[in-house]
Amino acid sequence: MEAVRARSLVKRFGATTAVDRLDLIVCPGEVRGLLGPNGAGKTTLLRMLFGLIRPDAGRVELFGQAVLALGTNAFHGVGGFVEEPCFYPYLSGRANLALLARLDGNTATPADIDDALARVELAARGDDRVGGYSTGMRQRLGIAAALLRRPRLLLLDEPTSGLDPGGTRAVAQLVSELAAQGVAVLLSSHQIGELEKVCTTYTVLRDGRVVWDGTTGELEAQAPPSAYALATNDDAGALEIAAQQPGVRTQRAPRGGLVLAAQRSELDALVLALGEARVIIRRLELLVSPLESMFFALTSEEILDQLAPQELTDKVLAGV
Amino acid sequence: MTAIATPPPLALPEPVQGDGFRHAYGAELQKLSVQLTTRLLVLVALVGPFAFAVLLKIQSGTPSDALFGAWVHSSGFAISLVILGFAGSWGFPIIAGVLAGDLFASEDRHGTWKTILTRSCTREDVFAGKVLAAGTFVIGIATVLAASSLLAGIVLVGATSLVNLSGVLTSPGRMFVLTVVSWLYCLLPVLAYTSLAILFSIATRNGILGVLGPLLVALATQLLDLIGKGVIVHTLLIGSAFDGWHGLLVAHPFFGPALVSAAVCVAWIGACLAISWQILRRRDFLSTTATRTPSWIAPIRVVAIATVVVAVLALCGNLGPTGVTATRLSAAIGPTFNNATLLQQALIGRHAPPGARLDVQPNCGRRAAAAVGPGDWNCTLYVYLPQSNAVPFQQTAVEYDVSVQYNGCYKAQSPPNFIGGPTMQDAAGKSVTNPLYIVYGCFNTL
Repeated sequence: MEAVRARSLVKRFGATTAVDRLDLIVCPGEVRGLLGPNGAGKTTLLRMLFGLIRPDAGRVELFGQAVLALGTNAFHGVGGFVEEPCFYPYLSGRANLALLARLDGNTATPADIDDALARVELAARGDDRVGGYSTGMRQRLGIAAALLRRPRLLLLDEPTSGLDPGGTRAVAQLVSELAAQGVAVLLSSHQIGELEKVCTTYTVLRDGRVVWDGTTGELEAQAPPSAYALATNDDAGALEIAAQQPGVRTQRAPRGGLVLAAQRSELDALVLALGEARVIIRRLELLVSPLESMFFALTSEEILDQLAPQELTDKVLAGV
Repeated sequence: MTAIATPPPLALPEPVQGDGFRHAYGAELQKLSVQLTTRLLVLVALVGPFAFAVLLKIQSGTPSDALFGAWVHSSGFAISLVILGFAGSWGFPIIAGVLAGDLFASEDRHGTWKTILTRSCTREDVFAGKVLAAGTFVIGIATVLAASSLLAGIVLVGATSLVNLSGVLTSPGRMFVLTVVSWLYCLLPVLAYTSLAILFSIATRNGILGVLGPLLVALATQLLDLIGKGVIVHTLLIGSAFDGWHGLLVAHPFFGPALVSAAVCVAWIGACLAISWQILRRRDFLSTTATRTPSWIAPIRVVAIATVVVAVLALCGNLGPTGVTATRLSAAIGPTFNNATLLQQALIGRHAPPGARLDVQPNCGRRAAAAVGPGDWNCTLYVYLPQSNAVPFQQTAVEYDVSVQYNGCYKAQSPPNFIGGPTMQDAAGKSVTNPLYIVYGCFNTL
């Protein structure tokens, strides 16, 4: 059974259609990245999945149960948060978790709460009032609140917002491990680099519609050229060799070295050609990933195949 | 944060369907119990009556404008009933507003709707849990206030007999029961105010208006009570329902106003909660940041609607039959004066035979207005045929200035040269309250 099944969802706010006939499926063990520019409908979609707003049309089911149907609760085993997690500022972190556990039917014991606080490294501050917490601490408490439910489905909106790099890595590791245990995860983030580390499937939204949906493999096959920085012992020679490679566009980078745009297979061919010509590669760095270029292509009017590598890099990095 | 250990292997959550309401109720009780305002209210309800009783005890004045106010130095039950009167006007709306007015709006302020609505409780569970938690705390604090006021009166003044609203001395045991029943009766209008506070809280999403809303309604009620002669508008106001207990404290109790008020309260509770639930059920919970910025559009709209409603009610104040008439007032004040006179005579040692009574002919009217409606009245009581052995006056005309409220309750006061001062000496030479100096009474306006 799918963890999330959304069919033909429509949500309008006045004259604006925030979500337009959107279909989405998330299966157990899948980590699906939800991408889209601001206003694409990501948060509105997550709010509909959580039952916080009512779709004007369509239906949302979590584990086969309709969200917002009277007399039923589809949120058993569903954890996560939309936008930043919010708690009662006059209660401590521990008391907030105890309150949420109570709302869940006391499925979590005090030991579970201690454990959840320890997992997000808030054990020492657990008895402090949440009103005194930093943004990052609230984010961590939000993750603890989600874990407390032993979720089968995690819906996370910008979960690493406000976290330090270590915290960000820890969240990515957690998501991967939960998915390995069969938890379905829907992850919305602006930080594409983080999504690439954990997601197995992606849904890209634009103007409330799904403009692309597929697996990592499909993404890499369909994505426009990625951009790379290349530094060699003979950049002039490398530029000449690259110019002879089909599908590779190269130019000198403003700060030295080369910048090139190519698909993965074309890059592989270039690397082999450079080796045969005894040009030593000192640095080969991914500047724009397939997901980033795909995201930019899907959410902008630009045709990336016609852009010079540096322009592609600048535009994509500015756009995402 | 450097690492987050993965949780234990997945275990499906315990199904809690059907128990969601119980869990939501428990969570709301927990939240209310830790809030400073709740604790302050409990403290005030606990200590306030004692402070009030102590203040009265160390001074000679009395809150004589309140029903039973002249008796606060004579009977502890008068203390409790005076506090009940004040609570009905201001205390209960404040309690309801503070406890229930911020209950829903605070979730908007803290951005926590999304936190609680995405747990294992449905919207109906959360709504019912909050409503019941507010009701529990309001009833709890009202009970604390009632118990504290009774205890303060009994400890500091004494569990002594009290003159009822027909001028009859009522035994401590009966007075205790009547006082408790009066407090219990008032729980219904308190719950009506609580429902109103919930409606304000949900409709405006503004805690300030949720808290102040019931108080503003109480203020509007007080103003509307001063105008209009018809009973319809007064009967439909929640504040008027706090008067229902008056009919229990007369010699021949009347239950009509209490029953009508109870029905009105039930209607208010039903309407407020039904509208509140419809608003919450249909609501979209949008951006947290948007809701954190206090929106004054809804509050301004509510205040505008409330102003129009009050104006319409004021214009409709004369609708329906007139509750306060010269006939009703005269019919009430005559027997009350008779009873108070017999009590006065008994206090000075002149005991009338059982069933003895004066022949009192009251004549009530108003100096500068038609003889209907609440306000200042003047009653002349002609005593024609006094009984032998109990003759305070013979064919004497006693003048009383009578302040009559819309609800039929009145306070009659006469110049001391007719009936003596506020206190008098009883047969044992002890200073006691003169039952004829200020006479309280109530009559049925329906």
